Amino acid sequence: MDEILRLSHISKTFPGVRALQDISFDLKRGEVHCLCGENGAGKSTLIKILSGAIQPDEGGQIVFNGNEVSLTPRSALSMGIHTIYQEHIVFNALNITENIFAGSEIARRGLMQRKEMRRQTENILKYLKSDLTPDTRVSDLTSGQQKIVEIAKALVFKSNVIILDEPTASFSSSEIATVLNIVKTVKADGIGVIYISHHLDEVFEIGDRATVLRDGSVVSMYPVAGLSKTTLIKDMVGRDPSTFYKRERVKRGEVILEVRNVTGNGARNVSFQLHRGEVLGFAGMVGSGRSELMEVLFGSAPLVYGEIVINGSAVKQSSPKSAIQNKMCFITESRQTSGLFLPKTIAENIAVANMVNTRQFVMRPADDLLTGEKFVRLLNIKAPSARTRVVNLSGGNQQKVVLGKWFNTGGEIYIFDEPSLGIDVGSKQEIYKVMVDLLKERKAILMVSSDMPEVISMSDRVIVFKQGQIAGELTGEEITEENILTLSIGDRQE
Amino acid sequence: MSKPEISNATLQVKESLFKRYENLTVLSIFASFVAIIVVVQLISTGGSRFPTFISPINIVNILQQVAVPGIVAVSMTMVMVSGGIDLSVGMLASLVSIVVSLGISQWHLGVGPSILLGVASAVVLETIMGFIISRTRIEPFIITLGGMISFQGIALLLSNSREVVMKGELNFLTMNLLEGARDPVTGLILRVPPYVVVFFVIALIGGLLLTYTKYGRRIYAVGTNPRAAFLAGIDVRNMRLSVYMIQGLLVGIGATMLLARINTGIITLGQGLEIDTIAMVVIGGTALSGGKGNIVGTLIGVFFLGSIANAMNLLRLPSEVQFLAKGLVVIIAVSAGDVSSQISEFRGLRREQAKARNVESTAKKGGS
Repeated sequence: MDEILRLSHISKTFPGVRALQDISFDLKRGEVHCLCGENGAGKSTLIKILSGAIQPDEGGQIVFNGNEVSLTPRSALSMGIHTIYQEHIVFNALNITENIFAGSEIARRGLMQRKEMRRQTENILKYLKSDLTPDTRVSDLTSGQQKIVEIAKALVFKSNVIILDEPTASFSSSEIATVLNIVKTVKADGIGVIYISHHLDEVFEIGDRATVLRDGSVVSMYPVAGLSKTTLIKDMVGRDPSTFYKRERVKRGEVILEVRNVTGNGARNVSFQLHRGEVLGFAGMVGSGRSELMEVLFGSAPLVYGEIVINGSAVKQSSPKSAIQNKMCFITESRQTSGLFLPKTIAENIAVANMVNTRQFVMRPADDLLTGEKFVRLLNIKAPSARTRVVNLSGGNQQKVVLGKWFNTGGEIYIFDEPSLGIDVGSKQEIYKVMVDLLKERKAILMVSSDMPEVISMSDRVIVFKQGQIAGELTGEEITEENILTLSIGDRQE
Repeated sequence: MSKPEISNATLQVKESLFKRYENLTVLSIFASFVAIIVVVQLISTGGSRFPTFISPINIVNILQQVAVPGIVAVSMTMVMVSGGIDLSVGMLASLVSIVVSLGISQWHLGVGPSILLGVASAVVLETIMGFIISRTRIEPFIITLGGMISFQGIALLLSNSREVVMKGELNFLTMNLLEGARDPVTGLILRVPPYVVVFFVIALIGGLLLTYTKYGRRIYAVGTNPRAAFLAGIDVRNMRLSVYMIQGLLVGIGATMLLARINTGIITLGQGLEIDTIAMVVIGGTALSGGKGNIVGTLIGVFFLGSIANAMNLLRLPSEVQFLAKGLVVIIAVSAGDVSSQISEFRGLRREQAKARNVESTAKKGGS
């Protein structure tokens, strides 16, 4: 096996963040090299460098086929380095052939050579031992089949390296098997595969070597043969806990929310209790179905089966409206798309959710402005006044406006989905402090977070989620990176 | 101390030149339009006569002409603020006029019941469209386009493709409320019919509803970000439905007024009404994407568009020119807001650059 790709001393700095530090990595022909690491370990940045989407800092070296190269999206493709991202990039209204050749159609004097394209597609699908036909519309395919289309696309254009970023996230087990078989076929043909997966058993099934990343650095590199899962997990964890946020603990009160056998929106048979004065953290890999569960609890996705009990009485959460009336609040993961009215003012944003609880028909803008100003001061929102449009605020201040919107409803059960995503360190600390203040007021928090230090430092208890189900619960001293990771990426459940 | 200053400066960058007064851009364009016409008239008469364009009689004329499109523009504003659009209002108005005139002159239902029947049918038809729009993901453009075509069909079927002539049963809607008043400039009789008053009352109610009620706030919320509105407990679907119901009510009222003026139920009665009202609403600063707009802006748009044809007549320009003028006004008014915010963004960028240069030069001085 000869080497096809080598990275030496690659670093990448974003403003304020060192995303990658002195990475060295190599790939041989006909090899599957797995990248392992937690959310945020730097895997995605590394892939983006390989696909040419971002440029590394000065000083590193990338060698392809023995020549030093610099990678741009165009040059990466011309060298046959194909990246298949986690999200599907397909044109739903087009068929498989059209998808594969979109943007690089075979044409003669401006006329599309449909038959030729169809023939090539058919050959590739046959080669991949897939029963898909070239004329099927992509919108009719399952997400696993769409992944096959993307791999087929990479193969039509003579790949040397295929990078698969979590190709099996949210797939059924038969689909996973198909994708893994395709990876084996491709590998046997001498193509180098970089494989990223949160499922360690996939690493063991198809991997030849595994490199572990942590906080932007390479921790270790092993041949997979003879490797144990515990070794891998040990290498993936290991942050210094003294750097974590120190949270004040609050005495736990009575049960405020009880969830019994809740099923729906991808969540299956979930039961837990939430007490006043505690943060119940939901850990797990991205895509494990935690946000989907929260949608069900908040009434924005249908509850198929099960019961939600608030303050001792079963409630029907048919819509967010009833959830708000039952004193629930939902600070969503993407504040810009689902939390805020960006062109509107701070005051208008803060007033909007509480309208459910007021009976009055007439709303005086002056009243809202007063309420708005109150929350601007209370949450230390950095803005000239409550009349400022939210679009002009920084991420941290926007998040505080979202919090103001929910505090204004007088809610008692707060769902925080990734509370500190994309906000600066200072605002992060302020938001943590606000969360603790809520606990002191005898309120309760469900927190979904993929940020390991956040989960560990903020949670009183942690539920680890995996494929829509509870994989385990951790309390007190048990809440460690290692335990969380073992539960969330250990053996796959069927 | 220096930190908040910087953040304030960045805040200003994205605001438009007229940041606090949303309608100022279009108002100033309208004012300059009026000024130009007045000046042209003064020059052409050598300043010997009062410019007829701003004489009371002409203003009252304009008001009579814009009252009905103005009424529909109020509900069109609500529909568009909620993120929708309604292409069917013109044909729906024709249909209502035919229903009312048929009710009065052929079905002999009496004036009151006929009007009620006409208005009710408009509300029902808009409700059906609103129901489809709010319960499916189909574009309102498509649904109301289909509505427009089908309403034309219903109207033609009902009237056997003929016009329905009445004997002035609706004249009470066109009587002069200002009996005996004369224009001090020309000495002509001033006429202010009830529907002009109805227009102002509806505009006032619409404006208050949008700004000062929970309902109005929710329309803006739905138009700005339907997902966030849903998660904030707003019944997005019924909000969408309700604006079309209001649209139906106002189209019904407007069409009855129009019928009173013409005295004939006819398919061409509402022709072009959808174009005019949508143009008025967008001139007034309402965004097609929803969430932005207000009734004051719409009123400016109503008067602006309404006075163009009138001004062209006074200047003795061929009537064909008015379409060109109307079209240009729509384009200019809508681009003006964007241009002004782009200019201020550019200025903000310049300020930032100057500031950065200052910082750099002071840093260099400090270092050396």
